[in-house]
Amino acid sequence: MNRSLIVVLGTLALSAAVFAGSYFIGQRAGVIYCANPADDLSWLRTEFHLNDAEMARVRQLHESYLPQCARMCTLIAAKKAEIRAALASGTNVTADAQGKLTELGEFRAQCQGQMLRHFIAVSQAMPPEQGRRYLAEMEKITLGSHEEIEQSMSDHPGHEHGTN
Amino acid sequence: MNSDDTKLGALLRESRVSPALPPRFQENVWRRIEANAVPAKSDSWLDALAALVLRPRFAYATIIALVMAGALLGAHQGAQLAKQDAQARYVALVAPNALR
Repeated sequence: MNRSLIVVLGTLALSAAVFAGSYFIGQRAGVIYCANPADDLSWLRTEFHLNDAEMARVRQLHESYLPQCARMCTLIAAKKAEIRAALASGTNVTADAQGKLTELGEFRAQCQGQMLRHFIAVSQAMPPEQGRRYLAEMEKITLGSHEEIEQSMSDHPGHEHGTN
Repeated sequence: MNSDDTKLGALLRESRVSPALPPRFQENVWRRIEANAVPAKSDSWLDALAALVLRPRFAYATIIALVMAGALLGAHQGAQLAKQDAQARYVALVAPNALR
């Protein structure tokens, strides 16, 4: 191997190492500088450019929503445990298990309704344009996954939903 | 050679004036040498590339460019990661996984 090739390859390796090192340090610095793990609502402030007054209102709404959300989560978790117990006892979906599944669906619907009402209230505490953006983003995150699942089911041949 | 000639010779040597060098003489000499230096003929593109990367000015410029590009790109990526993490924390609080 001649000297020039060694020089060029060595330079390339050194350049890659310098770039990778700088990238890594820059990334760590970016994470440390931008992250605010102490505040769960920091994303709202930065993403939707909220001022202190708007943040105070959003925080108030958030604090009042959390206990409601926790209560619904407890109800859903308890109902799921009941369903698991009902299904564990046999190989059929009994009337009791079916009833509990219906109740679970109702809890989920209630929880989603409560969640959407909270998102709407939060969006109204923001400037109009940011509020619209927030609502669209939250609807996409919270309801979008259902749409994806339903879409994937209807994409399967012979498994069309809602078609005659 | 008699003693008078010897004295005369010594006197002449002592009286020889060695003129002072002009200011920045040495620097100017090197500058002219560098300006007239003929670059070595490269045998191939690889030799030419090797000669290029070994030039200090090129090497420093490349290192500075790589460090700046890496740091800026990394910082941008880090900011995006921090944003995604903050968003995930918020969504996990207000929208339980059971519903998503």
